[in-house]
Amino acid sequence: MNSNSKTGRSRKYLNPYLGGVLLGLVLLAANFVSGRGLGASGAIKSVVATTIEVVDRDAFNTMPFMAEYAEMHSGSPMRSWLVFQMLGVIAGGFLSGILSGRLRLQVEHSPKITSRRRLVFALAGGILFGFGSQLGRGCTSGSALSGMAVLSLGGFVTMMAIFGTAFALAYFFRRNWI
Amino acid sequence: MGPLAPNEIISENTNYLIAFFIGIGFGWVLESSGFSSSRKLAGIFYGYDAVVLKVFFTAAVTAMLGLLFMSLFGWIDLDLVYVNPTYLTSAIVGGIIMGAGFIMGGFCPGTSFCGAAIGKIDAMVFIAGLFIGVYGFAFTYGWLEKLYLARYMGEPKISEKLGLSDGLFGLLLILAAIGMFIVAEWAEKKFPREEY
Amino acid sequence: MKPLKLLALIIIPLGIIIAAIPADRVNHSRLSPDELLQEAGTGTQFISPDVVADMLVQKDPSLRLIDVRTPEEFDAYSMPGAVNIPLSNLLADEYTDILNQDAYVNVFYSNGSVYANQAWMITRQLGYVNNFVLEGGLNYWFGNILSPEAPSQTSPNEEFAKYDFRKSAAAALGGGSVVPAESVTPAVKAVKPPVTARAKKKPSGGC
Repeated sequence: MNSNSKTGRSRKYLNPYLGGVLLGLVLLAANFVSGRGLGASGAIKSVVATTIEVVDRDAFNTMPFMAEYAEMHSGSPMRSWLVFQMLGVIAGGFLSGILSGRLRLQVEHSPKITSRRRLVFALAGGILFGFGSQLGRGCTSGSALSGMAVLSLGGFVTMMAIFGTAFALAYFFRRNWI
Repeated sequence: MGPLAPNEIISENTNYLIAFFIGIGFGWVLESSGFSSSRKLAGIFYGYDAVVLKVFFTAAVTAMLGLLFMSLFGWIDLDLVYVNPTYLTSAIVGGIIMGAGFIMGGFCPGTSFCGAAIGKIDAMVFIAGLFIGVYGFAFTYGWLEKLYLARYMGEPKISEKLGLSDGLFGLLLILAAIGMFIVAEWAEKKFPREEY
Repeated sequence: MKPLKLLALIIIPLGIIIAAIPADRVNHSRLSPDELLQEAGTGTQFISPDVVADMLVQKDPSLRLIDVRTPEEFDAYSMPGAVNIPLSNLLADEYTDILNQDAYVNVFYSNGSVYANQAWMITRQLGYVNNFVLEGGLNYWFGNILSPEAPSQTSPNEEFAKYDFRKSAAAALGGGSVVPAESVTPAVKAVKPPVTARAKKKPSGGC
């Protein structure tokens, strides 16, 4: 079956279809209440924008990327829908982790590689994803998932590119996973 | 009549507060479905765990159906709902880079926060990488601006571009998703892995 | 029952239902025939030629005149600053941004007002706002704005004010010249229709 579980200590994961329906309802709620879908990478951008602004005001005002951002967000860049949403994500993930007994400080990796190798790849993957998400105007949550729900062409294209590339490159990184 | 915030039925601050609760729902469901585990996330690319495919497409289809039906009943004005703009070049190039990041890091931004929330150090390192990547983009934006703004197509919907109605495209998407799920379940049986 | 089967059993029928329903029931920005009939009946789509004249004289940047006659007629004479969108070609893609917007006051005109009104009906049915019809069309414009008739001495003051206004407008717009009549009331300050911010203000979103 597809609900894997750790040892008897923790609860099993939800059935993926059920999880999908619930996630779809959350996404629907977001669209109904706020007129927009979910997201994640935008919150990172907000934090980055805030730190740049705080550390070096001049740089902030002259950087074209930041200027475009500042235009859209009057007031502090942290006052953005996504930032509040991501705070909720952390809280929600944490709560779910507590209730299911999955809270544990660990480096999760395939038994065939070392922790260190996993962390190196995690960092590299994060850098690539961070960069790509800005270029692609969204990540899997914001662009692919939310985009698909509103039938956006851009969202669909981004989704195909992400998954297509990951499939194509999977062979080269198989050591890390299987 | 939704959406509530653009129609000013709720205030901006209420909107942000609700965003927090929506985030809780988001994080909760992600974590409960196993998206806090990078090994589960990467599983679809090797066939042993199709959770990403199943959750992702089921969610997209559920939300899409929900929006279309709500519009049919007059509960929401779809013209006020944000549709992601299409900048064709950057969507593809950005997607490729993200795909590489996905297979290497085993996370995406949303799931990495879930993973970090339950203590996964690899997720935290991934998040650190995200910040570096975004800073990198901000500082190299000058060189990338042309690429970033290329091939702007407005906010077309897929159904428009294919000449189908929203509903018909939705049906096709549903059928495609079910087809993929069938294949995925076959693959999961064929490439089993130990519990993780 | 397997979860996948259950899921499929639920969403495939829903998908079929939503696919079967005609698109404009699902998407509500278009007007139903009832709604259109009601709106057409109120006559609010008409804009007075005095208002348009005033906007032209003041060089109001929000005015956009749209000539819905054939290109030949447009070349023969067109109102100042007008663009030509022949009625037969009204729904071409290239004109969508001109017709579906919330920055300008679009004013359709033709020789009479039949074609202009048709243009209004079609675009209104599509849910577009900020489009109006020049009352009386070019025929009225020539006869009454560019060469206004002096009112008889027994007419109320408003008539004189209107006449004066039209005189100066005609002068500014290149019409005939006549000595203005005496009057007491100041010129009619016509009120132009407010541009409806298309309720389609898209919220920002994305990642």
